[in-house]
Amino acid sequence: MKVGLYAGLVLLLVPFQATLLHSLSPFGIRPDLCLVAACVVGFWAGHFEGLVVGLLLGFGQDLFSAGELWLNMVTKAGVGFSAGLMAKHLISTTPRAIFVPMVLFSIFSGVVFLVSSRVGMGIQEVLQGFPRILLPQALFDGLVAVCANWLRARWGPQALNL
Amino acid sequence: MIGRLRLFPMVGSGGRRLFLVLLVVAFLIVALIPRQAQVILQSVGKPFANVLAVPFKAMAGLDRGIRDWWNQYLALQGVYEQNIHLQKEIQRLQGEMNQLREKALASDRLADLLNFRQHGQFQTVAARVVGRNASNWYQALILDKGEDDGIRVEMGVITPAGVVGQVIKTSGSMSIALLLTDPNVAVTGLVQRTRDGGIIQGTAKGFLRMKYIPPLSPVQKGDLVVTSGLTGGFPRGLLVGRVVQVEESEDDLFQSAHIDPVVDFSKLEEVLVLLSIQPEDGIETKVKELDSPVHRSGLP
Repeated sequence: MKVGLYAGLVLLLVPFQATLLHSLSPFGIRPDLCLVAACVVGFWAGHFEGLVVGLLLGFGQDLFSAGELWLNMVTKAGVGFSAGLMAKHLISTTPRAIFVPMVLFSIFSGVVFLVSSRVGMGIQEVLQGFPRILLPQALFDGLVAVCANWLRARWGPQALNL
Repeated sequence: MIGRLRLFPMVGSGGRRLFLVLLVVAFLIVALIPRQAQVILQSVGKPFANVLAVPFKAMAGLDRGIRDWWNQYLALQGVYEQNIHLQKEIQRLQGEMNQLREKALASDRLADLLNFRQHGQFQTVAARVVGRNASNWYQALILDKGEDDGIRVEMGVITPAGVVGQVIKTSGSMSIALLLTDPNVAVTGLVQRTRDGGIIQGTAKGFLRMKYIPPLSPVQKGDLVVTSGLTGGFPRGLLVGRVVQVEESEDDLFQSAHIDPVVDFSKLEEVLVLLSIQPEDGIETKVKELDSPVHRSGLP
């Protein structure tokens, strides 16, 4: 069941992110669903599964985005892994508890992408990416992660005893 | 409490450690030899991309269907007021149409001549835009044609209106084209009236700018900017946009200009990928040797 769920996630999330989500992006900013998924999986299922799912989602995303072929893969795998490690030390694991870690992971990932996508440009142009893309996306990612976490707690495999 | 469901119960902690070590080694290899790793990842990713292409195209079809439905039904709210306004507009336009008809007839004749001269100049393949870049960090299009259709990296992407961007990644059945408004794309351009050259590049804000225009160039607002044909992928003379503002400061050695692109990048649905370009002396330059079915078009 769980393998099927993860396979579905890997097969559907990247196409969804690149097609249907484009029509649902306020101010042209879309949440990075693959990053959210890697974080949520790591948060709930542990660092190893977070890493594996993040790795596959990131690679899929790399194949359908303009950047380097390994950047998403490494970032998402790292976030999934770190989320798993972080969850071990959290006292509260309510759906809302994921908001702050998700925002931090998104900012970290955003900085990596901001720097790599603005190579050779002036510092002014790099800094413009913070208010325009990085921070709105981080908040967006945090909100989506809270929703995903709530859904997972309510309807996830464990809640349904699968 | 956090519930732990094990995804890989058959993999023991020793196996997981080995996997993690191998992964770290793989990441180190990627970091140390990025170019070679890129090639390996590209070849590993092709079958994966082909598998992902199936749900991708299905979702793109769904997206298109939803958008059509939205346009046909929900967007018709307020159509009554619009209808009254449009009827008045029609009366005004009918007067203008009579005048324009005469001009159009003359224009058609000239266009036929131009088309005759340019017919078959570019070998292109038409591709449908099935998605946008899967992250916010690049401005790119995902096209439903790939290497199987002859598309290769660095080929130019255009519409009949003008330049769209450049192909930067390909898989068997899909490809990614970076838009001209992305800061990572640069194309050599020419101010059509003054014949002054420069580099056309996107900005971080998603606009288009022409840099390195000679300081004494009389470039002005309203001038058309075309490709110069000096960079690969695009022939000379493809329309890029119109100058909306010229910047000239005493500190800079060159002038720069903001350009309003002729292509509306947010509404692209179909594009043409330039498979081969022909220089002005009539000798066809094949960008790549292609054996896939393509169609020829005579774009300006």
